[in-house]
Amino acid sequence: MFSLKIDKIIKHSETISTLFFNSRLKSYPGQFIMLNLPEYEEIPLSLSSPYSVTVKAVGETTEALIKIKAGERVGIRGPFGRPFSFTDKKALLVAGGIGAAPLYYLHDYLSARGADVTVLFGARTSDELVWKDKFLNAEFSTDDGSEGFKGNVVELMKEKDLTNYDRIYVCGPEAMIKGAFYHLKEENLLDITEFSLERYMRCGIGLCGSCVLEDGSRVCADGPVFSGEDLDGWI
Amino acid sequence: MLEVELCKMKLKNPLILASGILGSYASSLNTIAENAGAVVTKSVGLEEKEGYRNPVVINLAHGILNAVGLASPGVEKFSEELKRFSKASKLIVSLFASSPKEFSKLVGYFELADAFELNLSCPHVKDVGLTIGNDAELVKEIVKAVKRETSKPVFPKLSAVSDYIEVAKAAEEGGADGIVAINTLKGMAIDIATKKPILSNISGGLSGEAIKPVAMKVVWDLYEELKIPIIASGGVTTWKDVIEFILGGARAVQIGSAIFYSYRIFYSLKESLIAYLRKEKTSIEDLVGLAHEK
Repeated sequence: MFSLKIDKIIKHSETISTLFFNSRLKSYPGQFIMLNLPEYEEIPLSLSSPYSVTVKAVGETTEALIKIKAGERVGIRGPFGRPFSFTDKKALLVAGGIGAAPLYYLHDYLSARGADVTVLFGARTSDELVWKDKFLNAEFSTDDGSEGFKGNVVELMKEKDLTNYDRIYVCGPEAMIKGAFYHLKEENLLDITEFSLERYMRCGIGLCGSCVLEDGSRVCADGPVFSGEDLDGWI
Repeated sequence: MLEVELCKMKLKNPLILASGILGSYASSLNTIAENAGAVVTKSVGLEEKEGYRNPVVINLAHGILNAVGLASPGVEKFSEELKRFSKASKLIVSLFASSPKEFSKLVGYFELADAFELNLSCPHVKDVGLTIGNDAELVKEIVKAVKRETSKPVFPKLSAVSDYIEVAKAAEEGGADGIVAINTLKGMAIDIATKKPILSNISGGLSGEAIKPVAMKVVWDLYEELKIPIIASGGVTTWKDVIEFILGGARAVQIGSAIFYSYRIFYSLKESLIAYLRKEKTSIEDLVGLAHEK
């Protein structure tokens, strides 16, 4: 474990902040770190860029984390996990809520390397569509219709022609992952799709077994990014 | 060539998954079982146990430091979970408890187990593990109590930080079928930036390459003193480590922390052992304890 200082914080909303570290983490989009907030807990967080995490307050530790002050230190293990695969052609990013976090990183990474990136970003309300200016070519959906398409992001995706993409990347809550999976399976696109999954983790390095899936693979070490074909049969 | 007989259990190879590693769900046990001779489950007790708060595991240069705290869903839920075990290898259920009575109660839940491991050596949880594993008389009583409940092999897992020869002999007298040596060694780490211990429990157990010579010495000593077989555990990372432990007296070898390097390590070790045994024109069974010959 090593520690990094928090340099800067962007407060996107009441419950979501991006914390920037004082140093760049050698990493790839889709990877995560185990972040230890002293006096609280160590939690897994997807990188939202090589030098940041974007956090939503959902529990005791994340609530304390979004209130952290610049200059404070956090413990880091990682980056860990299998990242998203690369394309420099047409890419579709499908984000649900805070699931956008690793896709901010992927968006910038692919765009900088010549890919043509389209984003579908859904949340419950417009307040939760945080940091949406970061996405250059994006469409939005909200459950309450307060911005963009009224409905969830899977419904928005169903309205789109998905045939011309080289890669599709999906990250969001479990129900959204499942919805997207079944649609993409129907469209015969699982072989070009990658899903980033989330599970309760302890060690982050493939040993403790807290995050194993139905097929025996470990979200922390064999994932968190899985190809659609990996998930077929048990999801 | 790779087959070994361990207390009348026929193992397809001498490689066993160590307790506490990927042992909480049938799905991961099934993945390992494909290439292992046996798998040991995560230790289970009578009641559900949450374990310690994260951070509970740290990877160091030569090993792993952990204080998971025997997190477990409790015996009823866990015995249900194990019903999905594939039986691709032998299944050894690891038990933790604080008294002979509790240990023998646990045994009844696991009809499907091929053998039992008794956790008498976890170094970071109060009232169980090492707390009772240091007491030779108590260990003997525990083994006796468990043996009254089952005819299956029973393997107490001991610590190197006890009078292990005395404890192992007591276990043997109590009817133990074999001894697993060793568990993790007490250890800790401090973060110099925050100036605080890293593990939430402060103290933990060290496993992995760093503890291999310690385990080797214990295996060596026990082979000299005991009649029952020894299962080595501690730092096995390469096929050479497997051979070393077998030569030192182990009949089978447990692998845990090395999964940090690869989920496929059981397959790799197995293939490497086959190559070695072919070259040497020998078998695992013929190598057990060979280094003790004068």
